[in-house]
Amino acid sequence: MIETILQLAANGIMSGAVLAVAAIGFTMMFAVLRFPNFSLAGHMAGGAYAGWIANTMFGLPLPLALLCGFLVAGGIGVASDFIVLRPLRRAAPITLAIASVAISLFIENALRFGFGNDLRSFDLPLARDWVIGWLRLGPQQVQNAGLAIVAMLILFVIFTFTQTGRAMRATADNAGLAAVKGIDTEKITRLVSFLGMGLAGAAGVLLGADTSIEPLLGLKVILSVFAAAVLGGLGSIPGAVLGAFAIGIVEEASQIVVPATYKGAVGFVAILLVLSFRPSGFLGRRQT
Amino acid sequence: MDSYLIAMVTLAAIYAMMAISLNLSWGLAGMVNLGLAGFISIGAYASGLLTTVLGWPVPLAILAAMIIGLVSGVALTYVTLRLRDDYLAIVTLGFAEVIRLAIVNELWLTHGSDGISGIPGIVAREYGYGFELGTLALALAAVALCYWLADRVRTSPYGRNLRAIRDDPEGTAVAGKNVTLIKVKTFGLSTAIAALAGAFYAHYTSFISPEIFQPLLTMYVFLALTMGGTGNNRGAMLGAFLLIFVLEASRFIAPSLPQFSAVQHAAIREMLVAVLFILTLLYRPQGISPETRHR
Amino acid sequence: MSLLEIKDLTKSFFGAHALRGASFNAEQGCITGLIGPNGAGKTTLFNVVSGVMRADGGTVLFDGRNITNLRPDEITRAGLMRTFQIARGFPRLTVLENLMLYAPGNPGETLVGAIWRGSDARASEAAIREEALRVAKRLDLTRVIDNYASDLSGGQKKLLEIGRAIMAKPKMILLDEPAAGVNPSLTRIIAGHIRELAQEGTSFLIIEHDMMLVRELCDPVIVMAEGRDFVAGSFAEVTADARVQEAYLGKRRWS
Ligand SMILES: Nc1ncnc2c1ncn2[C@@H]1O[C@H](COP(=O)(O)OP(=O)(O)O)[C@@H](O)[C@H]1O
Ligand SMILES: [Mg+2]
Repeated sequence: MIETILQLAANGIMSGAVLAVAAIGFTMMFAVLRFPNFSLAGHMAGGAYAGWIANTMFGLPLPLALLCGFLVAGGIGVASDFIVLRPLRRAAPITLAIASVAISLFIENALRFGFGNDLRSFDLPLARDWVIGWLRLGPQQVQNAGLAIVAMLILFVIFTFTQTGRAMRATADNAGLAAVKGIDTEKITRLVSFLGMGLAGAAGVLLGADTSIEPLLGLKVILSVFAAAVLGGLGSIPGAVLGAFAIGIVEEASQIVVPATYKGAVGFVAILLVLSFRPSGFLGRRQT
Repeated sequence: MDSYLIAMVTLAAIYAMMAISLNLSWGLAGMVNLGLAGFISIGAYASGLLTTVLGWPVPLAILAAMIIGLVSGVALTYVTLRLRDDYLAIVTLGFAEVIRLAIVNELWLTHGSDGISGIPGIVAREYGYGFELGTLALALAAVALCYWLADRVRTSPYGRNLRAIRDDPEGTAVAGKNVTLIKVKTFGLSTAIAALAGAFYAHYTSFISPEIFQPLLTMYVFLALTMGGTGNNRGAMLGAFLLIFVLEASRFIAPSLPQFSAVQHAAIREMLVAVLFILTLLYRPQGISPETRHR
Repeated sequence: MSLLEIKDLTKSFFGAHALRGASFNAEQGCITGLIGPNGAGKTTLFNVVSGVMRADGGTVLFDGRNITNLRPDEITRAGLMRTFQIARGFPRLTVLENLMLYAPGNPGETLVGAIWRGSDARASEAAIREEALRVAKRLDLTRVIDNYASDLSGGQKKLLEIGRAIMAKPKMILLDEPAAGVNPSLTRIIAGHIRELAQEGTSFLIIEHDMMLVRELCDPVIVMAEGRDFVAGSFAEVTADARVQEAYLGKRRWS
């Protein structure tokens, strides 16, 4: 029993690390743009396909494929923000959220048009599982979790030590005040869309490397990503990371009590519980 | 009347019920429901199962489906009452996904992705043309009833409260209205109508499966309402007919682009839906038949 | 017994204390003034008293009844109405609808009443419409009666804010800066309306910047600073009080 639990916890931490990358993207965009951007799902898939092309057609190793996924999804993010969301900036947040659903629908079907509905896999060396005591770890998952953590560290450095990172945080705290202080909020918005959707794309690549990719790859995990962000408090980056690990572990652990096919429901239940008992999340600040 | 036309109008009538349902919660009260497909599927499965498994008469099953839709809507709003709009969007989206998961996984009840077939018609299917015309007449009658109800609501003091909540829930509470209660009641009425639409769909097509109730369906209804005119029940109906027209017109994509596969045709069609939705939001957010000023 | 009794009210926002035990009464038939420097906690006090925010501690009695932490609609129905500092109105409701919305006890307001529309529902809606038209006329809003609230001028929004409060027929109205951002001639008009309503029997508790207006209308005047009241009396008494002058001296802005 204890072995099972430890094994599930280890799996949960590894999947949580990947979720965290997407959840950071979601929550940082929420902090600055103030609406839940549902097109994260489409951007995850877009990034995954970009990484897959880089890997299978150009033979790039996973870290470089990851970078490709990041850049392409970030680029799509900036484009979709510029074309669709920017003209709607003054509309109600929910209108933007609904528009973002349409963006996702568009991206997913563009991928479907180009690649079909078939599952595709990355071209990665097969390796035997590592066995440490009674813990069994897939080298690929460990590598994915490692890459996810490296991505988060890079982000941390950007946010903490660069001028731009500080400007982004200032805008997230109070957009009006940031504008008064001479920060170009429109530029920050573009940057945040790039970084946020880029992270979604990177997470898409990591998910794809773990199993396989398809146009609805993002949609299938989006609830877990939202749950991670809500759990940590919408808009809080450390909260999203914490929330993602919690969701990752709880999703794995849930398999002890419910069939694995209900894994997708765990996020929803977590959201309901958190919102009922602590609406601002673990690390959420204000609830206005 | 031509069978094709009858089928299209019947389908449009079913979408019109969905659009009226969405207009009640989202259009009038500003309560976003991204889980509409979930409530529609609840109605479809409830009525489908009650008639095929328990052999209930169709009208009774439809009534039960509406009650189940109402109860699930009330339960969900009750949990999400204190939530801000953006959270409500996430929670309703998640709700629909959980319903879909349950339908896919509870094989003993729903036959999973195989779906349920052989659902009896509201009018006996043996009547052929009579079934088609009869169902059409009943669907139109149901839309008329939904429209009448929803417009009674809209033009009443209750509807004024709804529109006040849409603008400013806190201010409405200060005006002396029990905002919570109003929201719960309205959402329940709206999900009951969504379930009615689902039940109608099940009895009309005789076959339902989780494939049919994807998030895309919710998107279709949002598109219909936005094109027609959010906040306006007539706009909701107009939008539903427009939606069917757009979806049917997009069938001509396939023959005109024979170099692409069936999957690609479907993808083009959904991209068109997405683009149409975005264009509507950008250039005509008030819809073709905008909400009118109340005098 | 006073109409409104506030005892030891406390409220903090993430550790910052906005109210630290405010305690005072407002009497039936009076126009009580509430003044104090910016950030003194006056608006927060209104928010807590009207149920828009929860109190951390303390009690509010209205008309002898404990209304602490009731819902805003329950407090409004108990006869205590508040207005907002920034007149918000319902932008997509017309002026007439804004007024009619505030009428209490409308049988057409229930879902069943809305659909059934019995004769009582229709009669009361008609009566409410008449009443709203009367209130609009009184406040000189008749010309804009069918305009959306969002299309009104700043001054008209302030008048509408008062009009909506009257529609609820409350025993007491809490006015948050009714003359802020209003030109002098409209300030005179608003003052006139308040005095008239007071003569007709409505009690008031008024937060106001404009000291001329406070002197003219309010007796007694309560002074708040740093989350609690500390002086009460006539306008002349409180302005002569050394502690009040000290509280204001550091802050140039009076409110
Ligand atoms: N919603 C809120 N969240 C956080 N702080 C608040 C909030 N409302 C008021 N405050 C703080 O409470 C204090 C009192 O504010 P307020 O009641 O508006 O003062 P006044 O109306 O007397 O000018 C101020 O320091 C203000 O910043
Ligand atoms: Mg104030």
